Amino acid sequence: MSVTPLNIAILGAGLLGQLSAWRLLKHNHRVELFEQAPRHKQHSAAWTAAAMLSPMSEVVISDRRIYDLGMRSIALWESWLSELNVLDALFQRKGSVILAHAHDENELHQFYQELNYHLGEKNNAKWLTRNELLELENDLNPEFRQAIYLPDEAHLNNRALLNTLTTFIEENAIVHWQAPVYLNEENPQLAAFDLILDCRGNGANESLANLRGVRGEVLHLHCPEVSIQRPLRLMHPRYKLYLVPRPGQHFIIGATELESSDTSPVSVQSALELCSALYTLNPAFAEARIIELDANLRPALKDNMPAIVEQKHGDTRVIAINGLYRHGYLIAPALVETLLATI
Amino acid sequence: MTQADPLNLYGETFDSRFLLGTALYPSPQAMLDAVAAARCNIVTLGLRRQDPQNKGGENFWQNIRETGCKLLPNTAGCKSVKEAVNLAEMSRELFQTDWLKLEVIADDYNLQPDPFALLEAADILIKRGFKVLPYSTDDLVLCQRLVDVGCQVIMPWGAPIGTGQGLLNKYNLRALRERLPNIPLIIDAGLGAPSQACEAMELGYDAVLLNTAVAKAQQPALMAKAFADAIDAGRAAFKAGLMQKRQTASPSTPLIGKPFWHQK
Repeated sequence: MSVTPLNIAILGAGLLGQLSAWRLLKHNHRVELFEQAPRHKQHSAAWTAAAMLSPMSEVVISDRRIYDLGMRSIALWESWLSELNVLDALFQRKGSVILAHAHDENELHQFYQELNYHLGEKNNAKWLTRNELLELENDLNPEFRQAIYLPDEAHLNNRALLNTLTTFIEENAIVHWQAPVYLNEENPQLAAFDLILDCRGNGANESLANLRGVRGEVLHLHCPEVSIQRPLRLMHPRYKLYLVPRPGQHFIIGATELESSDTSPVSVQSALELCSALYTLNPAFAEARIIELDANLRPALKDNMPAIVEQKHGDTRVIAINGLYRHGYLIAPALVETLLATI
Repeated sequence: MTQADPLNLYGETFDSRFLLGTALYPSPQAMLDAVAAARCNIVTLGLRRQDPQNKGGENFWQNIRETGCKLLPNTAGCKSVKEAVNLAEMSRELFQTDWLKLEVIADDYNLQPDPFALLEAADILIKRGFKVLPYSTDDLVLCQRLVDVGCQVIMPWGAPIGTGQGLLNKYNLRALRERLPNIPLIIDAGLGAPSQACEAMELGYDAVLLNTAVAKAQQPALMAKAFADAIDAGRAAFKAGLMQKRQTASPSTPLIGKPFWHQK
């Protein structure tokens, strides 16, 4: 693509900021990235996220648009990560499994009903018997009698991905750590740019109406005894929890969802919910080691859908992308693709 | 309905007999659309896990205030008298209302109310000036005791929260209606289908409170309208007077030409 190179300031070095920076650099734009946090202090929602790419599981609790953005994004992840030769290291597409305990099996039928509602009956979901389930995930508690397999879903190793992106961007652009990223009054650092890209997530609440944080809490574990190949979601009438494998028998289990902008540490109630769900997947998790407890906020708009908003900072054009909610990794590439087409 | 038929709770009147919960929707916008479609005047909200000390849920609560409905904060998630009383005080301050849906939960799995702690907490809160709407089981003696300590509204369950099972014990619910004729009774929790809400209203219940059946529908606003219509229908049927059931089907006009001793 031949475009006139622009001078672009990107605010926020979370997933969206870094992904945009990388793709804009690939299109020969000049990029400067501004981040409020210091270089090694990762506190973006993207650092906390488990990075499941699950368009089917998510369509059930949102709408068709998330599915379409998600399927497009999976294709983009495959193609973009191949350019950096990190596809196999960072991206796995082995599907995912939806589980429920025997007395909660109605939740599986409810899930299937909603999947059919949003996607129609040709949706590629497959019911598994106990034996089929154990063939896929042989370390799983054999008490699960049935499950739903979603072969199209994938997951990313998000922290390794963010580190890879940071390295690339630092080699090819200027990054200002601990920089002022405000837009609600004249920000002199941003005066000389052709375009400002606002990727501040929750940090944009000063200029974006109706933005709210939705608290999520996750646990990071190490458990050499248990091997799980793909994301598992445990359906329960009140908690919807998932386990996502990371290399070297590491796991992330999450995530609570609380309508609160509270960023204090993980609560006992949430830790109990997460741990008891984990324990029922395989009692051997009892001897897992808790490496990290993390709480963060998902930036969400009123309809819990993403938005690309045109604004002005003085005379400079601002494009704000926000409201990725619980769908950051799932939909970010498709949003960045749309962004590239609009500038 | 053409005639005004207001619901009277603690001296305030409401046009709608449908109270809706604000949790579990796909988004705040979906919640707002459902509340509008439900035509309701009162919405409930929970705050136990939203860090209320630091107003953690403020942005979300702002969405709920936008409904323009009367707010009925609840104590969902509280398992002891002390927790419930503390949260009640906090919600009175946060939302500037002394109305409270009192929940004290005994069983974590089916969220069954703890009748003993409920009664104790209701007693304390009424003495502190709260207008308590207790979420209770359908036990007559418990409901009577709640009235005795000063509850002017009782909210028995149809079935455990979130189960969608409908009116599980109609015998008890009828007995409650007959024995507490002057207390507004609201079916709270357990309803899954509009027909069940209609049935509650036909039994003479004054209103219906629910959340999951609307919030978890694939189209929450459409389901909210379905419940609102069913509640109106049930109320109208109750006011109109349901006919008594009969053992045999009887033709409404005589069968002319057939001798009466052959008509069964």
